[in-house]
Amino acid sequence: MTLAYAVLALLWLALIAYATLGGADFGGGVWDFLAFGPQAERQRRLVGQAMGPVWEANHVWLIFLIVGLFTAFPIVFSILSIALYIPFLIALIGIVLRGAAFAFRAHAAHAVAISKVWGRVFSTASVVTPFMLGTAAAAVASGQIRVQGSQVKTDLLTGWTTPFALVIGAMALSLCATLAAVYLTVEAEALKDTQLVEAFRLRAMIAGAVTAVLGALGLILSPSQAPLLWQGMLKHAIPVVLATMLVGLCTAASLFLRRYRLARISIVIDTGFLLGAWGLSQLPYLVPPDITVYNAASPPITLLAFLISTAVGMVILLPSLWLLFRVFKGRNPVPRVQGQSSINSQNVSAPRR
Amino acid sequence: MSDLLAARAQMGTSLAFHIIFSALGVGLPLLLCIAEGLALWRKDPDWMALTRRWTKGFAILFAVGAVSGTVISFELGLLWPTYIKYSGSIIGLPFALEGFAFFTEAIFLGLYLYGWNRLSPRAHWLCSFPIWISGLASAWFIVSANSWMNTPAGFQIVHGKITGINPFQAILNPSTPYQTTHMILACYVATGFSVAAIYATAILRGKRDGYHRKGLMLAMAMGAIVIPLQIISGDANARFLASAQPVKFAALEGIFHTQAGPPLSIGGLADPKTGKVYYAIEIPHGASLLVNGDLNSVIKGLDSVPPGDRPNPLPVHSSFDGMVASAFFALFIGLVFWLLYFSHKRVVPENRLLLRGVVLAGPLSFLAIELGWMVTELGRQPWVIYAMLRTKDAVTPAPGLNITFFIFVGIYIILSITLVVLLLRLARQPLPKLEWPVFEASSGEESEEEVGIR
Repeated sequence: MTLAYAVLALLWLALIAYATLGGADFGGGVWDFLAFGPQAERQRRLVGQAMGPVWEANHVWLIFLIVGLFTAFPIVFSILSIALYIPFLIALIGIVLRGAAFAFRAHAAHAVAISKVWGRVFSTASVVTPFMLGTAAAAVASGQIRVQGSQVKTDLLTGWTTPFALVIGAMALSLCATLAAVYLTVEAEALKDTQLVEAFRLRAMIAGAVTAVLGALGLILSPSQAPLLWQGMLKHAIPVVLATMLVGLCTAASLFLRRYRLARISIVIDTGFLLGAWGLSQLPYLVPPDITVYNAASPPITLLAFLISTAVGMVILLPSLWLLFRVFKGRNPVPRVQGQSSINSQNVSAPRR
Repeated sequence: MSDLLAARAQMGTSLAFHIIFSALGVGLPLLLCIAEGLALWRKDPDWMALTRRWTKGFAILFAVGAVSGTVISFELGLLWPTYIKYSGSIIGLPFALEGFAFFTEAIFLGLYLYGWNRLSPRAHWLCSFPIWISGLASAWFIVSANSWMNTPAGFQIVHGKITGINPFQAILNPSTPYQTTHMILACYVATGFSVAAIYATAILRGKRDGYHRKGLMLAMAMGAIVIPLQIISGDANARFLASAQPVKFAALEGIFHTQAGPPLSIGGLADPKTGKVYYAIEIPHGASLLVNGDLNSVIKGLDSVPPGDRPNPLPVHSSFDGMVASAFFALFIGLVFWLLYFSHKRVVPENRLLLRGVVLAGPLSFLAIELGWMVTELGRQPWVIYAMLRTKDAVTPAPGLNITFFIFVGIYIILSITLVVLLLRLARQPLPKLEWPVFEASSGEESEEEVGIR
């Protein structure tokens, strides 16, 4: 029992990591999608440059979540795969196209047409995917996925097509966009590009406000559309919800005061609180109202093996991640060797012989 | 197409697509590590230019491998939810461990791809080690999970309920040592010969400089060292199958009836309707001799199990023969290449027929990987977990699997076309100016603009 909760806490941390890191990469795609005007190319380049070295590592948090669910709560993976077949399928197609498109675009070098088409695919897929994942999360939270024995009793459209789910989907999307915009202010500052800093500051504030409004809307809808979640929140998540709101205000304030590094930390904590609030509100259910943490968990030996191997894995992983982010996102992300070295300074229009 | 067939087709296509990138993901980092090491040690611009070129190709290949692998992990649930329910608590662990290996690979790949100017040359080279080591580990973990599907272990079934789970026993199931070795070696063979094929093509087109020769030599060294080991490992696998999965063995050898001293059928079509192998070259007592070293030992045939438990031997036998033939072709090419090299004062052979053979051995060794997977997967049917869960009982109840199958086939086709176009463009890009030190002078794309060899 304690083991099951320990594994769940670990997976929830991985979810937070995926949301704050992988989510921001989707958000980068959103800003690529929305880039316009004379700055558009520079904005797109900044997004590409920021994502390039880290997006693949960020993406692995999702894999970790899936295999963790598979190992520790196999029945949940099985149930969600059946009940949320359509949103997962669309998100999956989005994930494939987003990742492939990003790589194709970044390495298309002088193939202008390829780079253009896949750039479009990249940004579109980045918009669709977090939205679908958001609706899927809302479907779980709403308690509409019904299970009898181990048979899923709901049809393919249940849960993720409700107004509540659509609001949460949109909120997931705008949260990704906010995360990305905040991170990009720091990236642009490091390049000393004031115009870009200001552009993303404005975008961060707008997207953050949209996220807050959608969050409030979700909260209003939840007593009727996700009653179990609502009651759970009243019971044991009120402080975390308040903290989410408070830290959200902190993020807004630090953006307003142009303290971008502070804003970056703040938005990460805020996302953690938001997802934490969801998790706490749902307890003790994994898929409310039929599947609890307890009755979905693998036998203790499997959970223990998973915890031990995660601990061993983290010994390798955490220093490696630290190195990756220090090299590319540290305080002075200036190339060691001077010169035209940024990955996206490649001149797309250079003619081929 | 029935939903079951559509689900199998989609899973099969996804795996067939993904396996190409996984094999390169295991093999290429080792080539990178060796080439960059040689570059630093010898201060050789050719080796550095090769490293740079391969790195760029690998960047695209790895990304496609990462996303196509994500497809597989989702599809396990989306297409086979019942499989997940049965197997998760037993065999989820190697998937999780593979997750960590993949994580490490992705992190150091990020450092490797984008760190040319941020890391010292030595630190950059050191980053290639975790990449190839974790690539190797990934392959081992994933194939151990597949091995478990062939020889399930680490649990008991009491009154229809799974108990007594031991995840470590499940990972170290009887097939694991055989299958993991065979797959990992296959990655090196396929990477070696296919990279060699690229440089053989270039040399055939008259690019006979040090850069292309070195590329050919290193890749051929990898391929030729590993292919004999791979054939030995293949033999061990076949013997193991004869006792651990006799039905699969019977299907791949085309043995229909349990008999003493069955012949070895090379080639031919194993027709399940008539129970005969047509058009094959038959070596009397051959199968028996290969398995037990005994001319008249009894080998179980497909008829040792009820008809409902038999795989279709036609594709299994033909895939097996195709795989073995490709392997022996690669072995032959590797042998001739190095014999000519050492007998001609250590000059890279430029015999046109041999080079054409190298060009052919590249795709053939990838074909061997695909066929080998067909053997092990189709040979396990009708089971998804051998003697425990049937494939038809594992499939999702979701409708419209035909449609998703075609969507994914479409995606794979589009990705493949783009990938081929980009890799060809990369191969045709003029080489950077080849002078040591390459590091300080160039940084990725810019230097490639300088007019080089075309």
